[in-house]
Amino acid sequence: MRTTARAIVPIVLVVAISLFFEGHNLPGGGFIGGVLTVTAFGIVYMAFGLDFLERGVLGREVDPGKEPSRDRVVLAYRRLFAYGFAIAVLSGLVPLVFDRPFLTQTFVMLEGVPIYDHLEVASAMAFDFGVYCVVVGGLLTILSVVGAE
Amino acid sequence: MTMTTMTATPVGTESQLVIAPMLIVLVAAAATLFLGRHPRARAAVSLAAGAGYGLAVAAIDWYIVLAPSAPGIATYQVGDWPAPFGITLVADGLSAFMLTMVAVLGIGSLVYSTRHLPGGEGRSYYFPLFHFLALGVTGAFLTGDLFNLFVWFEVMLMASYVFVAYSGGPQHTRAAFWYVALNLLASAVFLLGVGGIYATTGTLNMADLAQRLAEPAAYGLEPVPVVGLLGMLLSVFAIKAGLVPFQFWIPTAYRAAPPQITALLAGATKKVGIYAIIRLSFTVFAGAEVAVDLPLPVVDATIAGDSPLPFVGAALLVMGAGSILVGGIGAVGRDTMEGVFAYSSIGQVGFIAVPVAIAASTVDPTLREFAIIAALVFALNHTLAKGLLFLAVGTVRSATGTSRFADLGGLAGRSPPLAIAVFIASLALVGIPPLSGFFGKFLVFDAAARAGAGPVLVLLLVGSLLTIAYATRMWNRSFWGARTDAVDAATIDPVEVGVLVVLAATIVVVGVGFDPVYEFAETAAEAALDTDTYVDAVDPQKASDLGGSSGGDH
Repeated sequence: MRTTARAIVPIVLVVAISLFFEGHNLPGGGFIGGVLTVTAFGIVYMAFGLDFLERGVLGREVDPGKEPSRDRVVLAYRRLFAYGFAIAVLSGLVPLVFDRPFLTQTFVMLEGVPIYDHLEVASAMAFDFGVYCVVVGGLLTILSVVGAE
Repeated sequence: MTMTTMTATPVGTESQLVIAPMLIVLVAAAATLFLGRHPRARAAVSLAAGAGYGLAVAAIDWYIVLAPSAPGIATYQVGDWPAPFGITLVADGLSAFMLTMVAVLGIGSLVYSTRHLPGGEGRSYYFPLFHFLALGVTGAFLTGDLFNLFVWFEVMLMASYVFVAYSGGPQHTRAAFWYVALNLLASAVFLLGVGGIYATTGTLNMADLAQRLAEPAAYGLEPVPVVGLLGMLLSVFAIKAGLVPFQFWIPTAYRAAPPQITALLAGATKKVGIYAIIRLSFTVFAGAEVAVDLPLPVVDATIAGDSPLPFVGAALLVMGAGSILVGGIGAVGRDTMEGVFAYSSIGQVGFIAVPVAIAASTVDPTLREFAIIAALVFALNHTLAKGLLFLAVGTVRSATGTSRFADLGGLAGRSPPLAIAVFIASLALVGIPPLSGFFGKFLVFDAAARAGAGPVLVLLLVGSLLTIAYATRMWNRSFWGARTDAVDAATIDPVEVGVLVVLAATIVVVGVGFDPVYEFAETAAEAALDTDTYVDAVDPQKASDLGGSSGGDH
């Protein structure tokens, strides 16, 4: 299980990130990228246990007796949720400043970028990033709190 | 680097107003999420948002609907995508009337919430959830897109799921379990209905839908399945509104949620169900060219007509009649205040459904409009009165620790302002002039009389008698009689009572100055019936008109 996890988790994360960038004109986007990222975290949790992220990766001391919802990493998930939501809302509000309707999007083409050749920087990306954060933050909070019970 | 320009359409002020209430609660939800650790700032932001919401709704009322030069209807295309492809928001008389009704109660409940918050750790999520609930309700009233309506229903439900389970005790979890299970089922049916309508008609924009159903041949549609699909949607809305036979979730859920939220569940989310029934049946599906011919097995009659409306009318009449009886009889036997009011809610929604049924069954346009006015005025009264009563349950519960009749008595002497507010709301439920309830009930009776429906009149009369019975019983058991220990030891919060008194004053003002309210309801009913104006305002384009310039290639 742990060996498999070591191999799978990086692949899953890379696919998640590529899905996130595909988002605005191919199937994919913030939501599905977020869900896939959470899957990677889920595999880590299953293979290494709930405290692994806190103790093994971040090198923090964990008090085994305390409530899991008080973990610092869980608080971070919650903050991620709140920030992601704020980013999504703000990105929707920006067009109002330019006298366009709520959620209006535009995009800029960058030519000559290595690997991708041309890259589309879409304003929808900001919204998608917000959605990504909401999904990751929300699902990981649920996973770690419910998983601990 | 190339920059693609978009079709630049500056947005008019009236259009900006349409989305204003939604943006205010959305921003408030995000802001209160950050202020979880600062209770005072959280409450202050929430109150500011409540005030902003009230102003935005008042502006919609005046500039879009009521002012002499008002256009009567305004639309907003989210993200600059044209209808029917983008999501359209529409504010017309009907939406504005519902929004106003909910805004009054919502602001009251919000002020109340700053005083009395149940729960421990979950408190920091109370206000964000409150704003999400408001967002769902607002979105449902404003959207002009069937799938978007589904989304707002879900937003509203997600928040209410948490609220029903909010206190975290065994009975709350049980109530929440039933509530979630039932509503998931309802959502699945809703989605099936929406999917079916899309498959049948090729659109989900309400204006486009109305346009296509009115001339199915021009669009190459076979509209007959729409009747059944509309039936599916109606059953979902009936679940939200708590009509018999879908009333069973109401008493447990209303008891489990915090009282100020129960006030909103009864006053706002139920009205979303009613609104959706009126909007879809009359604005969207009324013009559908479908010959309905349904022989009834027992009473040996046939429901027939050339639109789905007679079918809607028959179904609503049965459900409304059942609700009035079940709610009224159930309320008489309850032993807690919220139990009485929860069953009373079931009965009162029946009183709203019956005039809607009359409007759907009749072919006379004057009577149809009159019956919808009756339903709207009754809904307004129910929101104000029942909202006040549920808030009063919260006050009594937080002051005395109980809402059981066995432990209550003599509240009238303990807190006369509280008693007066509850007394006024109870009289409004019963329908005593000059309160708002009198006009609501009078109009409903008048509509039934004009329709010449004798049995319906008898039914309404029985329902009214039951209302008098349970209101009197509630009053006698809790406010009169010997003062109990719990009542003696009570400390009653002045701000909470203040909110109740303001709501009670609103009930009186609506009743005394009824003419403008009636005119507003009349505008709302006209808007509900005027499909042409609705379609013209949204102006759904045909795919061939668009060319490639709309950003669709993006």
